[in-house]
Amino acid sequence: MRKYSQMRWNLIPIYVILVITSTLVIAPLVLTVFAALKSPEQFLYEPWIPPRPPVFQNFMSAWYKARFNIYFKNSVIISTIDALLMIFIASMAAYAFAFIPFLGSNLLLPLFLAGLMVPVPALILPLYAIMNSFNLINTYFGVILADLSLALPFFIFIIRAYFLSIPSELRDAARVDGASEFRIFWSVMFPLARPVVITTALLEFLWSWNDLLLRLVFLTKDSLRTLTVGLLFFQGLHTHDVGGNAAAALILAGPVIILFLIFQRQFIYGLTRGAIK
Amino acid sequence: MKYLRFPEWVNVLFFLTPAVVLYIIFVIYPTLGLFQISFTSWDGISPIKLWVGFANYKELLFSDEIFWQAFKNTVFWAVISLFLNVFIGLVMAFLIAEPIKGKLYFQLAYFLPTVQAGVVTAIIWRWMYQPDGVINSFLRAVGLGIFTQGWLGSFNLALPALAIAGSWMSIGVNIVIFLGGIQNIDPALYDSAKVDGANRIQLFRHITIPSLRPTITTVTILTIIGSFKTFDIVWATTQGGPIRATELLATYMYKRGMLEVQYGLGCAMAVFLILVVTIFSTLYSFQQKKEV
Repeated sequence: MRKYSQMRWNLIPIYVILVITSTLVIAPLVLTVFAALKSPEQFLYEPWIPPRPPVFQNFMSAWYKARFNIYFKNSVIISTIDALLMIFIASMAAYAFAFIPFLGSNLLLPLFLAGLMVPVPALILPLYAIMNSFNLINTYFGVILADLSLALPFFIFIIRAYFLSIPSELRDAARVDGASEFRIFWSVMFPLARPVVITTALLEFLWSWNDLLLRLVFLTKDSLRTLTVGLLFFQGLHTHDVGGNAAAALILAGPVIILFLIFQRQFIYGLTRGAIK
Repeated sequence: MKYLRFPEWVNVLFFLTPAVVLYIIFVIYPTLGLFQISFTSWDGISPIKLWVGFANYKELLFSDEIFWQAFKNTVFWAVISLFLNVFIGLVMAFLIAEPIKGKLYFQLAYFLPTVQAGVVTAIIWRWMYQPDGVINSFLRAVGLGIFTQGWLGSFNLALPALAIAGSWMSIGVNIVIFLGGIQNIDPALYDSAKVDGANRIQLFRHITIPSLRPTITTVTILTIIGSFKTFDIVWATTQGGPIRATELLATYMYKRGMLEVQYGLGCAMAVFLILVVTIFSTLYSFQQKKEV
């Protein structure tokens, strides 16, 4: 008994450190929420405390006046299509790399994995030239194609690893029953890979939603801008409007925070592996 | 190994064509194009790509002081990130691994910023650092008013200040990676050391760090690579200022290549960036092989 109480005392400094640091980490986000929900007058007199009462004028003016409703729509369209297409393209390629012993697979797979190393900012200039020659500048399609291509290596990598961890008896049984390769993929392996498929969709959505550089370069028309680009220009114009900036930033951050709180496990699984990207 | 006969190739084509076509057009081709353009004085628009040999590389390496400033800043950014992401990250993971309550809460708290966009981080932290912002108000409130300043306007402090904001949004991932590693350490090691009377700092130094060496190397390399890719957070705050104090390789490349349309020069910088990242990625893959 004595030993246990001794151990608890021992842990108190650890609790103190963890509580202080985690508060410091969360504080910027919490203060941002507070600031977003205050009118300029409220902010002037009581900048650091919760808003009393909360007002939504900052969100309203970002949403309607600063056209964040349009940016939001653009972000939703691009990121959703990204996530959906990525699931299929990456898992099909991963299936071929995992199970079909085709000539050249031992060359093609490393070539894909090498793509994990390419830093996206380095490719921006030649990518711009390519998009330009295909007339894909200022189209959703151009950004989507670039997103998919640049993130493919990572997702092929994690989905293939998952496929290889599934017991091969399941595939062999389907084989013996005479199922085609596509049927085995679609009816057996794809459903079994659901955890990694969900991670793929969430992570690709997150990366797409949060990306600035590709959108800054490929989407120059205001009506096509995503939230990240919209936010960049918004803060450039309203540098000293703390509440306005906070609300605008939260329109971008809100959806991913909610997704994260719902799908913590998948995000943590994916992002710790995605650290390489 | 037996390869497929012809009809089964249809399957391979079916499964791989979308990925391979995308990858060739939007990753391999631009990567090769990058090297080619870096040897020209192309402006990105005109149909003529004048071959200039190594002129762009010579200009960067021998007469462009800003390029070296950007390189130094990037290395400095990496050093600060290493201290925060690797050392502090490891300490935090070590503390969370203790038999405490609320592990999940702490993990989520540190992890939450990692799902934020770089632009969001930039906006939040610019407000933190403003002359009338959160940090200065806090300093004044606790009687440390003499330390208040315009953090991002300071030539010496802007870069470390932004690097701290950068670590805010990446440390969570490292804590979770380290935590996974710590939980794989044989508890018997700790128990026997405790029997010998080792305190917590000794356990950390003599058991945790040596046991996690491969993971530490991995996180170190990934942090360095991450520094060479940093763009958003700087672009949305200081854009490289004041007077180039926060100019990083990625922001300088964007300025010269995209905004000043000096494609050739920008591409030479990109080649440099790829070389640095490739060197560290190769180290990383060696490390991974050793771990297996």
